Amino acid sequence: MRPATLQVRPRLVTKLTSGCPTLDRHLAGGFPFGSITEISGESGVGKTQFCLQLALLTQLPPSLGGLSSSSLFLHSEFPFPSRRLHQIAQSFLAVHRDVFSSHPSYNPLDCVFVHPLHTADHLLDEMPRIESFIESSRASRLPVRLIVIDSIAALFRSEFDNTPFDLKRRSSIFFKISGWLKSLAVKFDLAVIVTNQVVDLVGPSGGANGLRIGNLGCLNSSGRRVSPALGLSWANCVNSRIFLSREEELLVDQATGPVHRSNGETSVHGARAIRRLHVIFSPHLPYSSCEFMIAREGIRGIER
Amino acid sequence: MEVGRLPISAAQKGKLISAGYTTLSSISSLSPTLLSRDLNISETDALEIIKHASLGGTMDDCSSSGAIIGAQTAWDVLHEEESATRITTSSVDLDHILGGGISCCEVTEIGGVPGIGKTQIGIQLAVNVQIPVHCGGLGGKAIYIDTEGSFMVERVLQIAQACAVEMSTSYASSHNSLPPSHILMQPEDILENIIYFRVCSYTEQIALVNYLDKFISEHREVKLVIIDSITFHFRQDFDDLALRTRLLGGMALKLMKLAKKFVLAVVLLNQVTTKYTEGSFQLSLALGDSWSHACTNRIILYWNCDERYAYIDKSPSLRSTSAPYAVTSSGIRNSVSKCQQILRTQAT
Repeated sequence: MRPATLQVRPRLVTKLTSGCPTLDRHLAGGFPFGSITEISGESGVGKTQFCLQLALLTQLPPSLGGLSSSSLFLHSEFPFPSRRLHQIAQSFLAVHRDVFSSHPSYNPLDCVFVHPLHTADHLLDEMPRIESFIESSRASRLPVRLIVIDSIAALFRSEFDNTPFDLKRRSSIFFKISGWLKSLAVKFDLAVIVTNQVVDLVGPSGGANGLRIGNLGCLNSSGRRVSPALGLSWANCVNSRIFLSREEELLVDQATGPVHRSNGETSVHGARAIRRLHVIFSPHLPYSSCEFMIAREGIRGIER
Repeated sequence: MEVGRLPISAAQKGKLISAGYTTLSSISSLSPTLLSRDLNISETDALEIIKHASLGGTMDDCSSSGAIIGAQTAWDVLHEEESATRITTSSVDLDHILGGGISCCEVTEIGGVPGIGKTQIGIQLAVNVQIPVHCGGLGGKAIYIDTEGSFMVERVLQIAQACAVEMSTSYASSHNSLPPSHILMQPEDILENIIYFRVCSYTEQIALVNYLDKFISEHREVKLVIIDSITFHFRQDFDDLALRTRLLGGMALKLMKLAKKFVLAVVLLNQVTTKYTEGSFQLSLALGDSWSHACTNRIILYWNCDERYAYIDKSPSLRSTSAPYAVTSSGIRNSVSKCQQILRTQAT
């Protein structure tokens, strides 16, 4: 290896579209290749939906924001939502019928490679196999250009205690995984999307509890103060962080208003979930937030 | 005394000083016959003295008795430091606490939590080092060593465009005319002058730092080396921690030598980690206590309410103060805090 070969000519980074022009506007085109983007949020907010959608969108040609490539979906949460993926794939085919009209028997699910992960050590063991798989897929018609890990937090659930020794060991595994993912991203020009869970913040803010990372002072979801899991060390490992939040909005019937019952309760017409996407930190994006919804065809941004 | 630095015998030095020649410039413009008559020495000796004086008596030429090779008087060092141009950060408050900006011949370390603006400061410095000399800058190139993949070309173009616009407007306001095209800096040229390296492992990082000496001797216009970030590849599991300390120490030494030898600024971006001291968690820069001796200056970036602040943690010459700054679409700028905004609206 000659150090002179490490010099590269920086060029504009290609992006993977999020599938919706509103969200793309907030993300300056989509998810960049060559770096790790983390999507964090509480369970049920739509992280896996987003990832499934991206795994299909990467098969689009570059003119539509994809990269004519397949994707590798590493999941650590079981079971893998194959039925939902099938549903999104149906809408995907229907919307982009003209793109795939030349291949009538094209099944977008053929280009999503799914592999289960059980623990962090399992991922470390699988790294060489994954790398050779991506290398060999380069020769095929649709090489792998997207890696999704859903979720990174589930890999570290069970094995690590709360002792300083274990936490330090966990931290060094973060950097090992992240270093390997980034070197893959550079070598094969991949986009890497990682989902993360959130933990509740209890007690007074400040100190190690609720250390401010990024554009938002505190992250709220479902009325609770939350923070992405895996702490400060993992936050240093990702290039960009996106936070999906969910709040309940009580709908009041305009005609009757809230009904006050005799037992003191106030009854409302119904509740609506408002989901928002926030850019927490990113080297090329300012802070922005956008409302989105989960539809049959996947995640769609809402411009208000 | 400049004459004292000439590589000539002490007797000749004494003759020069008693004849009234104390500065090199007074000697170098003389003719050999005049000097030989003045000092009562042979013409060949006089010619040699004039030759040495016109070479400037640089430290590299020192080979004989007299001053210790490589030594300078404190006055010379002070004069050099005061006359050296600093690299502005584009934020007046930040420049103020830095004594004018990032200084050359020094290693500055900047650390902070993710998202606080380390890469943004790095990119801003890489653009600002290229500000031409006639606009008060260094007119040099920058080397950007990326270990994390945070260098986004579209963001650099954005900052470069803002810098080019500002330079042309300031030229227009001071000269009352639009700047001629050969002075205008184009954003594409600014991007050309940032030499970009991408390293993916700690071995590549060390090899590159070792290679920089040769590279910069072939590219003398480089005035800034940024490493973003210095720690990422070293936080993986090292079986032998002593090896890590040795590697880091060696790297730090090489970077300090680079800064001194080529008169450039070295800026290292670092991550933060939590340290459990005295019963509470504190933020400290990564890589441990032994690394903290590697840099000349240390700046820590942190959040205070909704504002970004920079704090001088360690410096031999700067006071430990903090200053706010902001990250805008044009890059790093002065922070306009909320209370300042309120005062401004009240005044109008």
